[in-house]
Amino acid sequence: MPEDRTKTVEATQTKAAKPGASLLSRITAGQGSWNMLLMALIIIEFVVFGAANPKFLRPQLFFTSLNDSLPVFIISIAVTFVMITGGIDIQVASLVGLTSIIIGVAWQDWGFSIWGAILLAIVVVVACGAFSGFLIAYCRVQAMVVTLGGSFLYSGLALIVSTMSSTESYQGISGFPDAFKFLGGYKFFDVFPLQMAIYLLLLVIAFILLNKSKYGRKVILSGTNPRAAEYSGINTRLTIMSTYMLSAFAAAIAGILLTSYLGTAKSDLGSDLTMDIITAVVLGGTLVTGGRGSVIGVALASFAIGLVRFGMPLCFKVSTQYPGHPHRNPADRHHRWSFSGEQHQCRD
Amino acid sequence: MKAIKKILKARESSSVLFLVALFLVVGAINPSFLSTANVSACFNTSVVYTLVAIGMAFTLFIGEIDVSVGSNLGLVATIVGMMLRDGSNLMLACCVGIFIGALIGLINGWGVAVMKAPSLIFTLGVNGVLRGLMYLVAGGAWVENLPKAFKDFSAVTAVGDLTVYYCGAVLLAIVIHILLTKTRHGHNFKAVGDNRAGANLVGINSTRTMLLSYVICGVLAAIAGIIFCSRIGFVTSTTGSGYEMKAVAACVLGGISLAGGVGSVLGPAVGAVIMASISYLLTFMGFSSNYDNAITGVILIVIVVADALIQARSAEKNRHARLAARVSDDVTADVAAAKGGE
Repeated sequence: MPEDRTKTVEATQTKAAKPGASLLSRITAGQGSWNMLLMALIIIEFVVFGAANPKFLRPQLFFTSLNDSLPVFIISIAVTFVMITGGIDIQVASLVGLTSIIIGVAWQDWGFSIWGAILLAIVVVVACGAFSGFLIAYCRVQAMVVTLGGSFLYSGLALIVSTMSSTESYQGISGFPDAFKFLGGYKFFDVFPLQMAIYLLLLVIAFILLNKSKYGRKVILSGTNPRAAEYSGINTRLTIMSTYMLSAFAAAIAGILLTSYLGTAKSDLGSDLTMDIITAVVLGGTLVTGGRGSVIGVALASFAIGLVRFGMPLCFKVSTQYPGHPHRNPADRHHRWSFSGEQHQCRD
Repeated sequence: MKAIKKILKARESSSVLFLVALFLVVGAINPSFLSTANVSACFNTSVVYTLVAIGMAFTLFIGEIDVSVGSNLGLVATIVGMMLRDGSNLMLACCVGIFIGALIGLINGWGVAVMKAPSLIFTLGVNGVLRGLMYLVAGGAWVENLPKAFKDFSAVTAVGDLTVYYCGAVLLAIVIHILLTKTRHGHNFKAVGDNRAGANLVGINSTRTMLLSYVICGVLAAIAGIIFCSRIGFVTSTTGSGYEMKAVAACVLGGISLAGGVGSVLGPAVGAVIMASISYLLTFMGFSSNYDNAITGVILIVIVVADALIQARSAEKNRHARLAARVSDDVTADVAAAKGGE
């Protein structure tokens, strides 16, 4: 029975290609064939990178390098839910940093145990997601604008939290207990990272949530036709708000794993992830106008992006990171975050 | 009297009021702020944002967005900076910069208007490509040692303490505003943003209008890049990142809706001043610049939410008014019919 409904939903989707998305909807007419294309892309990447540099295929290096893209993997599957409802979430990247710095400061300066600090971070970050989601769903403000404001607000909050610490904010808080580092550092058989396993678990949960659960039906229908969803007794506002909480939760998980993996809590962790996340979600076949999306497609797309991110520098010596990565160059960082540099210049 | 009412009703005036209130509050807390030098410094710092925001406004008018303006600005600043450093003619460098900006705008416009790709996604992709190009062009190094005359020109003042650049930007905003409101083609942008199919039906070439707005956006970002070069005197590899979001924020503060078809270019010009002066104002209020982002976010959210609630309320009011009018019409008609029947 549910399959039937999916088919009708998808059929109406393809017929009524929404204006402004005609190009993408034409290409992604069938999710199945789109996923095959993504698989082909991934295989090509393996062949090309593997041929260019055999080191690429070494499992040890492969998984270690892929760890760098893990936040994108995790967050993009949750942002898929948001985009299916027709919204967008560009604040998730700032929530990663907020999670990280709350864990650090709560553990080091506020006397929380590390697990208590993690719990606090998750609660605060999900509340942030709920706040933005509330404004979008109940006050009917455009998702793009609210999450834009949110990205300023939450990265600002992270910065404020970092000033409450006794450690200088640019240094980052480190020295976490081993039990916490275990989360990001442990590898099964010395090869397969635990955090990758956590990601796969989350992926399965997200797949079931979207495709096999009542909640997933509600999310898809809220995106396809909000009015019909409302008339069929779905609380669309609550559903839409919940997707933002979901993406915030994913950002919190990513922030926890990233902090544990790097061993340092910083307020600007993950601040450059927004573009990769949105790219992964769209490349995975999610309609920007809402109503259709696939967790598997997005997972494949984010994997393809992750491979490029690590394959290009390794095999062709091309840096795909922005050279002025905020963590690397303190001088740049100052310039990037505030106008004060500019003002000193003019006053001089 | 009518003119005053019209001005008060305009959405930009609330942004102006907000800006004035902001300055007065800061002045009340720290009276030393209210000097000509400080207030004009707020305006002068905003020149780059003003230009980018006005360009962004054009893409928001048509209901789209351009998030590549930041890297557009950065790329143009890098190329112009390198040309000037290597002793090239200023006019030539500016022409090359503006040409590149226009070309980027054309590519964005082609993707969005002709290929019908979602603008956020397409320009996000272009943004990535431009960042990469910027890195390749400069080799990841800073562009420094620009000619002194070029750098010093940024300090030349025109009116009072306001620099030539800022006065030029304001003049440009006023000219664009007049063109948009007083000419026939000026109305095309908002018509397309409001209802593209409807605009096509009344004979507006919507594809060309959209292309034009992206080109204008690209050119303004390029000019902003050149001015950035002159004001700051060096270009780093992260120059311009984050400008796109600040420009969108300035537009939203200035009363433009992301749904398209609403607003003017004067609003974003005011919004840009608010965005640019927040960190400056914070130092006068005794806060560290760490609060900059958080306060920007709060202001942005408060303004858009208030705006959305007010609009929803006025829409509801209009609906009631229409309903009431229809009911009273029906009643009069009934009475007339009853009288006719007698």
